[in-house]
Amino acid sequence: MSAMSEIPLPQAAKRVVPWWLLRHETMLAVILLIALIGLGGLNSRFLTLDNLLNQGRLTTEVGLIALPMTFIIITGGIDLSVGSIVGLCAILLGYSWKVFGFPLPLAIGFSLLVGATAGFLNGIVITRVKVPPLIMTIATLALYRGLAEGISQARSVRGYPEWFYFVGQENLFGVPAQLWLLLIAIVVSAIVLDRTTFGRTLYAIGSNETAARFSGLPVDRVKLIIYTLSGLMAGISACVLVSRVTTTRSDMGIGYELDVIAAVVLGGTSIFGGVGTIWGTVVGLAMIQLLKNGLALTGVKGDATIVVIGTVLILSTLVAGSLQRRREGV
Amino acid sequence: MKLGLAAAFLGATLLAGTASAADKRWDGADDLPVNPLACSAGEASAAPAAKPYDGGRPSNAADKAGKPITLVDVPKLIGIGYFNATSKGMQDAAKALGNVTVKTDGPTEAKIDEQIKFIDNYITSGVDGILFAANDPVAIAPVLKKALSKGIHVVGYDANSSPDAREWFVNQAEFNGIAKSMIDSMAKEAGEDKSFAIVTSTFTTPNQARWIAEMWAYAQKCHPKLTWLETVEAQEDNNLSFNQATTLINKHGDKLAGLFGMTSVATPASAEAVTKAKLCGKVAVVGLATPNAMKPYVNADCVKSVVLWNPVDLGYAATYVMRAVVDGSLKPGASSVDAGKLGKLNVVNGSEILLGAPFIFTKQNIKDFDF
Repeated sequence: MSAMSEIPLPQAAKRVVPWWLLRHETMLAVILLIALIGLGGLNSRFLTLDNLLNQGRLTTEVGLIALPMTFIIITGGIDLSVGSIVGLCAILLGYSWKVFGFPLPLAIGFSLLVGATAGFLNGIVITRVKVPPLIMTIATLALYRGLAEGISQARSVRGYPEWFYFVGQENLFGVPAQLWLLLIAIVVSAIVLDRTTFGRTLYAIGSNETAARFSGLPVDRVKLIIYTLSGLMAGISACVLVSRVTTTRSDMGIGYELDVIAAVVLGGTSIFGGVGTIWGTVVGLAMIQLLKNGLALTGVKGDATIVVIGTVLILSTLVAGSLQRRREGV
Repeated sequence: MKLGLAAAFLGATLLAGTASAADKRWDGADDLPVNPLACSAGEASAAPAAKPYDGGRPSNAADKAGKPITLVDVPKLIGIGYFNATSKGMQDAAKALGNVTVKTDGPTEAKIDEQIKFIDNYITSGVDGILFAANDPVAIAPVLKKALSKGIHVVGYDANSSPDAREWFVNQAEFNGIAKSMIDSMAKEAGEDKSFAIVTSTFTTPNQARWIAEMWAYAQKCHPKLTWLETVEAQEDNNLSFNQATTLINKHGDKLAGLFGMTSVATPASAEAVTKAKLCGKVAVVGLATPNAMKPYVNADCVKSVVLWNPVDLGYAATYVMRAVVDGSLKPGASSVDAGKLGKLNVVNGSEILLGAPFIFTKQNIKDFDF
């Protein structure tokens, strides 16, 4: 994790982004490092390459969705339907393969198309009908999950061909196959956010949407793109998940939206928009996954782990908030 | 207009989905073959034909015969009465054996993905054996196979995985036996020609799906006049189960003469819903549940029969089976295993160990049980 370099932000964003926030992820990375060393000292099996790679494998599905979610939250929006899109895409992957008789590659393509369509639908209603993202995606959270349940009629689809399990279970050059997907996605989305006008438009929308519109930025088009991207990534995540657990269930992805949003927010992306980085999200993801894993390995039971994660989230918000107040001299 | 296209597309997919799934089977049942028992009461099921061992085997497991072992138990979820009882049985067995340490740890919700992560972590931290109750038989298989490949012994109880992903499975009761007890009780209490509905956990939960499939087969064979209204999902969630049962009562009104609860959470919640609706005696509640949760309803004559096995014994047996596997006294091809105070338990279906016939709690005997 490299330290953050100063990003050339648009003027509008500069005013709302205090200096310390650009370093929020640096602070988080330091905390993560301390936690890693501490947990590693308590358990010899924690800081092994094997375990860390395996944790990467387990967090890929949530990680893939967290990247577009960072974009969305930077614009001040939210997408709560991602978990349900995962369920819908997983079901349609299995269903189109088994019932429609699609060849599996086509079924994968179809399921990604469904994901993108589901995201596009969110985007269309949010931008055209001006329904707030929170309300729209709560509605589609129920709608897409209902479709998944209705289409599947609660039947699991199993018995995929052996090659399909490669991405979810095998290694490529000694690294879990799906981790390559995640790494590529991280690099691409980081470049898009840091180095393109598209990325700057996201910050501009989050800082002041009205100003962004008057500046002639394509606000609606950008929003449409990120919600569609969010759906598409949920579709990819669904295929990875099905490949990892070898079966399709209509309850797949339940609660993912909260895991994703927790990672993004922990990574310093402000829920009010205008602030956030991909690197922060990556550190947030790593933090949650490795805390859970490290605590489990040192013998902490599952219910206690959840308490720790919740506490960490609250503390990080408090620290960030108090720093912000100190900067503003309130 | 793109929006219209998207909506039409989604609608078409949904239609295609519901149209093809319209068959006579009860919702929430699985597609496996069913084997209903004979209708006459008291007739034991025919002894199943001996099948060859079809379980998996660990590779290069350390020889711990007679030595202390550390086990982890990962149930579907923690914090509900049923799995507290199985966990207690495991502790009892560990105490009786003296050379076993068992720790129960698992997700707080019955989510397969969480369960996989727990098992994965325990493989990394290194244990001698894993006991599990699967949230999904197929999805849990890869991680269990990983455990076997690392030389960890794997024994299932309560809810099975694919046979080759574990060594043995302790089966609490034959599915068709449970189904017969449930349907017979319902026909007796509600009436031979009445309608009923089912409250289950999720349609994909393996045990519940099997039971519903067997209940459907047995009802068709022996109580053809019983009418099935619908099956609803309520996760393993108290509140949701109560709401779902209440919805069923309101929706079907006088038509509804019976409710089946398929889980230890759904059954008391259904009984509570019937009590709150002041329909005790009008709507029969039959289901699987732990006695303590059902005592108030049974004592108030709202519920007449609760079908179950003893989960404490189930956990106890699973621990003894694991010890026998590690000691090498339970090998593929064995016909029975010694389970301490439970005596000898028989091997069925190749790699399953049968706990016994289902037990029906009634007003007369429920006070003798405390779990």
